[in-house]
Amino acid sequence: MPQRMFRSFQGLLLAGLSLLFVFKAVNGQLTWYINSRFIPLTILGMVFLAVLAQAVFSEIRRSRKHEQDHPEHYHEHGHAPSATSLWVMLIPLAIGIAIPARPLDSSAFDSKGFNTSAPLVSSDISAQIFETESEERNILDWLKLFNYEEDVIQFVGQKASVVGFVYFDATLDKDQFYVSRFVISCCAADGFAIAMPVQWSQADALQQDAWVAVKGKIEAITLNGSRVPLIVAESVEAVETPDQPYLFP
Amino acid sequence: MLTASLLPVSFLSFLWDRLNVFATVFLGIFMEAVPYLLLGTFASGLVEVFVDREQMSRWVSRRPAAATISGAFMGMVFPVCECGVVPLTRRLFKKGLPLSAGISFLLAAPVLNPIVVLSTASAFGWGEMLFWRFAISLGIAVVVGLIFSFQKDTVQVLRPTLAGEDHQHVHAEPNDPAMEKVRKALLITVDEFFDMGRYLILGAMLAAGLQTFIAQSSLLAIGNGPVLSVLIMLLLAILLSICSTVDSFVALGFTGAFSFGAILSFLVFGPMVDIKSVMMYLQVFKRRAVFYIVVLPFMMSLLAGLIFNYFVK
Repeated sequence: MPQRMFRSFQGLLLAGLSLLFVFKAVNGQLTWYINSRFIPLTILGMVFLAVLAQAVFSEIRRSRKHEQDHPEHYHEHGHAPSATSLWVMLIPLAIGIAIPARPLDSSAFDSKGFNTSAPLVSSDISAQIFETESEERNILDWLKLFNYEEDVIQFVGQKASVVGFVYFDATLDKDQFYVSRFVISCCAADGFAIAMPVQWSQADALQQDAWVAVKGKIEAITLNGSRVPLIVAESVEAVETPDQPYLFP
Repeated sequence: MLTASLLPVSFLSFLWDRLNVFATVFLGIFMEAVPYLLLGTFASGLVEVFVDREQMSRWVSRRPAAATISGAFMGMVFPVCECGVVPLTRRLFKKGLPLSAGISFLLAAPVLNPIVVLSTASAFGWGEMLFWRFAISLGIAVVVGLIFSFQKDTVQVLRPTLAGEDHQHVHAEPNDPAMEKVRKALLITVDEFFDMGRYLILGAMLAAGLQTFIAQSSLLAIGNGPVLSVLIMLLLAILLSICSTVDSFVALGFTGAFSFGAILSFLVFGPMVDIKSVMMYLQVFKRRAVFYIVVLPFMMSLLAGLIFNYFVK
């Protein structure tokens, strides 16, 4: 492939990748892939990709001008670069465009697994959660509390209000379901699901993966040998997918 | 009839679901790594235009031990993670950095740099985990670097394009004006981003594919014994392929289920070897050298994990 054509494709791919990041950012989908704390870094990468695309395009203009000014001197420099790097760079762009974006859901449970008692953060964090209003706690907060506090009976009867997606498991009773969220430390690659069982008489009317807001009272049960919080639901309402579908520890 | 026609549909929807998980995990790794890879390739571009071979030979000690140890600490000056360190090391080799110093830089820099110090401290606090992570990473990097210092013939270790003639498209001249240098540095960044980026992409695809089809829970379910737990965490480090700047937060998630030694070995080995970095190593080193760069840190991380499990914690 001639040098200038190779450069043109490089420039287009860099601009394309930058635009893919812009597109994901504008749609608020960046947090479907990475922890929100890395968003500034991704924005920086997006800008730098655009700068590089610009550098490549101005290089192409330069070489064209050079050719017009000195047609007698002009020759293509160097070996024809291999085109495979261009094809491979096309892969993330193609995947980003062709496969509709979807945050991790219960279809990732088979490979990523899910947990009803996640030992996630050092124990001093639980003191902060302890002080928050019980209705402000999310699924991760509840699991942390049950993981680190010796006496979980004190939480029984507290009001709970959590948002998550529905997951049905064969081990649960007919009038029960899991309300679940993915937890992401770095990016979707390290994501894993956490879940709280919910007692709800109309559980079988719910759809797998549907997003719901669950309100009710906390009960402590034993599941697979550990104490976990169960919500005895007073209401289960369908909600929109939250802007940040994952929880960040 | 009905079930026969339904079967392919449910199978297709199963595949479609898997493809979605794959795409999300792949783009997650890619988007997370791209800024760091850009940082590394840009550092490489700057080194190419601003550093020449004479300067390099003045900076680096001739004694192998001193060169190896200073190589291990160079990450404090070039804060790169395991994606960025590969193109930068390759560039430094071109500028005449000794093999031993390059290897110890390659292995140590993803951990011994200010960003990772801070991220490890914010996950585990300024305590034992931080100290041992850095001490053991430094130790392994220096030992492997010293082993390579016995190999005087770089042709045996480095890929021919590095040891011999230069196929670079952009050539830096020592007396280019500053703007010209920046322009060339950017073009070198582009070339290296494409060169290294493809191995990042292939590695991320492999990691995402494995994660989509191998149940992580089954891996975690095996590992509880003092030996198995370390082996599982080492395997997980390879499989997850996450950046060294953030791996402490991931490791934190395993603290309840795994021993101190197992987590430590994950934090030491992960930044040195994972799927995407091995693919990038293969662009710099010959296969036999890559074998040693993978196996020696593996054995030593395993040993470190076992010592902690049996004798310390």
